[in-house]
Amino acid sequence: MTPMQDALLAAGAALLQAGGLLAAAPLLKTVIKKMKARLQNRQGPPLLQGYYDLAKLLRKEPVRSEVASWIYVAGPRMYFAAALAATTLVPVAFAAAPLEAAGGILLLVGTLALGRFALATAALDTGSPFGGMGASRDMTIAALAEPALMLGLFASALAAGSMNLGVLVRTLVQEGVTLHPADILAFAGLFMIVIAETGRIPVDNPATHLELTMIHEAMVLEYAGPDLALVEWASAVKELLYLTLLVDLFMPVGIATSAAPAAVLVAIVAWVGKVFVLAIAVTVVESTNAKLRLFRVPELVSISLGLGFLALAIRFL
Amino acid sequence: MDGLVAVGVPLALAIRLTSVVATLMLARHARVCRWAALGASILASAMTAGVAAYVIASGTAIDGMLFRHAASESVLGYSVTPLSAWFLMVLGLIAVPVALYSTDYFAHAVARPRTAAVGAAFTAMVGGLEVVFVADGVIAFLCGWEVMTLATAALVATEHESRASRRAAYLFLVMSHVGTGCLVAGFMTLASAAGSLSFPAILSGHVVSGPMRHGLFALFFIGFGVKAGLIPFHVWLPEAHPAAPSSVSAFMSAVLITAGIYGLFRVCAFGLGTPDVNWALVFMSVGTLSAILGVLYALTQTDIKRLLAYSTIENSGIISLGLGAAMMALAHGRSTLATVAVAASLMHVLNHAIFKGLLFLGAGSVVMATGTRHIEQFGGLMRRMPWTGLCFLVGALAISGLPLLNGFPSEWLTFQALLLGFSSTPGMIRLNFPLAAALLALTSALAAACFVRAFGISFLAFPRSQAASEAHESPALMLVPLGFLAALCMGLGLFPGVVLRALEGVTASLPGLQPSAAMVRGGLGMSSNLTSFDHVVPAMFGLALLGGLIVSTALTARRGLAVRQAPTWGCGGELTPRSEYTATAFSKPLLMIFGAVYRPTRQVDAVAEVSPYFVDEVRYRTEIEPTFERYLYGPVLRGVIQMARGMKVLQAGSLHAYLAYVLVLAVILLMWLGGTT
Repeated sequence: MTPMQDALLAAGAALLQAGGLLAAAPLLKTVIKKMKARLQNRQGPPLLQGYYDLAKLLRKEPVRSEVASWIYVAGPRMYFAAALAATTLVPVAFAAAPLEAAGGILLLVGTLALGRFALATAALDTGSPFGGMGASRDMTIAALAEPALMLGLFASALAAGSMNLGVLVRTLVQEGVTLHPADILAFAGLFMIVIAETGRIPVDNPATHLELTMIHEAMVLEYAGPDLALVEWASAVKELLYLTLLVDLFMPVGIATSAAPAAVLVAIVAWVGKVFVLAIAVTVVESTNAKLRLFRVPELVSISLGLGFLALAIRFL
Repeated sequence: MDGLVAVGVPLALAIRLTSVVATLMLARHARVCRWAALGASILASAMTAGVAAYVIASGTAIDGMLFRHAASESVLGYSVTPLSAWFLMVLGLIAVPVALYSTDYFAHAVARPRTAAVGAAFTAMVGGLEVVFVADGVIAFLCGWEVMTLATAALVATEHESRASRRAAYLFLVMSHVGTGCLVAGFMTLASAAGSLSFPAILSGHVVSGPMRHGLFALFFIGFGVKAGLIPFHVWLPEAHPAAPSSVSAFMSAVLITAGIYGLFRVCAFGLGTPDVNWALVFMSVGTLSAILGVLYALTQTDIKRLLAYSTIENSGIISLGLGAAMMALAHGRSTLATVAVAASLMHVLNHAIFKGLLFLGAGSVVMATGTRHIEQFGGLMRRMPWTGLCFLVGALAISGLPLLNGFPSEWLTFQALLLGFSSTPGMIRLNFPLAAALLALTSALAAACFVRAFGISFLAFPRSQAASEAHESPALMLVPLGFLAALCMGLGLFPGVVLRALEGVTASLPGLQPSAAMVRGGLGMSSNLTSFDHVVPAMFGLALLGGLIVSTALTARRGLAVRQAPTWGCGGELTPRSEYTATAFSKPLLMIFGAVYRPTRQVDAVAEVSPYFVDEVRYRTEIEPTFERYLYGPVLRGVIQMARGMKVLQAGSLHAYLAYVLVLAVILLMWLGGTT
């Protein structure tokens, strides 16, 4: 194939994947909500509630603060754009990501950090102390989570010998899944970080609006209408991305290595199944834990850091 | 063209010399002497940058003569090697916008009678630094080094009425001269062993061996480490950089520290033979320590220029970490890894110079507009100074290492080198790499927090003081350099392949490295995607991001969607600047979490006149412990003073005693001479 065709193919795949993940993300949020409700003997929302919410928010009149500058408007847009662009970096159904060569895992982490930077900056723009509090806490937790995330990713990347997610998944598929103790430790460490990064209990409570406890919600408290829809949607995409990343790194079974329709179908079903299993895990963790005090989060993160380091040590020494 | 290249460096230095003299002679006419100093500086920097670009492109060094004394047959030569050319190019790239910015800035921010002195010192400082980079022998190098140091000290003391400025300049001089002393000792040892003063001879790597080599490494590491601002030799930097006029601070933070980095490259890493594993460990640990402590200290600063100065320490650390990884690789004979690490380190030298120059110039504009350096007094500046704000935002994004700006590729490459390092070094030593990588990740995430704070508190929401609400956008001549540097941040972020390619010749010229051509084409097992930093893919990812922005804008800015402006909800009260989140509050959670590092002290006084139950005023004071100043330099300082007191006995002011010293010395010398002949 010529480079031109290559580029077109990558662009097409990127569009398809971004569209698919964008469409699926609200469902994941609702499914977790629903399962949580069931665990509490409640009915829970209908499965399509996530879409109804987004549709309603997008139709509403945007209300923006008089104090704020253009940064306030640009923040959610950038957050959304970053989440959308990040979808092109992660293999989902194929053992390849559309833009996998652009910088691998580090670019994925960096892109999500870019979105966070934009949202945290925008939160400072309204003059409300909530925004500042949320931004401060969110950046704090992100800073603490980053080394553990990097170490966990390192541990799994070293097994395959590449930071390129496409190469990594292909190597893992070739070698088959080994339940090496290092994998289990690294997975446990990364799972904790995913919980922290997606703002779930025990680090943050997505359902709270109590001043003293909210983190992410405080940051986006001033947003309304379509702006809020962007933030909610992007957060859902981000969560789906993180779960997909875990699936890719630790259980790539079933992922398609060719473009045969049957293989792709199997891969998509497998992906949905694996993400669902992880969603159950997230739900169980959320339902059986209490939210930690902000200043206890470092302990949680350091456990994860320790697990990552141990995983490296076990595998390579 | 070739002729111009051959005389470019001496000509540039001649222009600088003339300009210094002219500036001092025209001291009475502030406007004229500003242009005499800065215009000439722009011209000379453009010339040297041109020469540097030529050397980088062609990959061959340019040699020549700067000065020759016929009677004694002493010659001062220069040599623009690809490595010097890289630093020279960085210098030119920053010196031109800084000088352009200064033409207007000095008019507003420097007292008229001092214009000539400041202009002349600036030109001398840049000239001295150029000599450092191109010097071909010890004498020229040390002369350039000293001119640069003295001129910088003069600039730091520009506002010498203030005690803080004088103290900063004094501290800078003392620390610099401790460093210079180490360098002189090191160079003299090398020179006497090699029997020559020229760099090619003494830095060939075969001059000394055995334990002597380690001693020399230590001397040079301290000597250059002081200039590079590495912890624990950094104490002067956060004092001196903020004290100078802002555009000079920009130059100091962006380029002057690279004098130290250049020395570390030239001498410590590639001039003393194959590096020892322990040297590499020293580099890696000092680099990581500087990075993490630098950013932690930066996070708690409320003086914008001090904040930026601490972040310079952080970046200097990242650069050294890359170099340390390269030395580790060289020690184990892994030339591919060494090439990647050296490329990462040199790329970060360039990138840091660009974004730090940008941020310091932006901070300078803000300080000029508001008359204060205190972040808590800014606020709302995005509306008053939109262009400065936009450029500062670009710099903040770049320094946080976020994708599609130039901070990302060099951090990416550093991570890549650390990952490679793990898989290609033997034994337990390899565990240093993931440890360093985890700390580097922490550093860059903390840097993001630090710059969300610096930008958000300074530029967004309500103005926090009268001065901030009356600030004005800076004049065009000050905005153009900001725009240029911001454009460079974005351009090099989107097309990092250009930089990698330029680095090919530089890495090829260093002993023990593979030319990075193989690297660019992706000859690395671990990171076959190094090719990805070619021009297409980051740009394509940029398109993906742009696509996302278009979608999100289409969703929120549809036609028929009327936007309503409303006051921010203030929980029933009225929101004022006083109810805004402050910079101190923003970094408080991190201050508490990293309490073991900061060891903060806190004092809360409630002032009540009538009864303790009706408090009129609460005074809050918090301070972090200056660990290095107190526990490292404190005892050293006390020791020095005590020794000086002891020596006072010798210098009692008695003529008889002095005569006796002379006699004793003469007798000892005679005995010694008698013994040797």
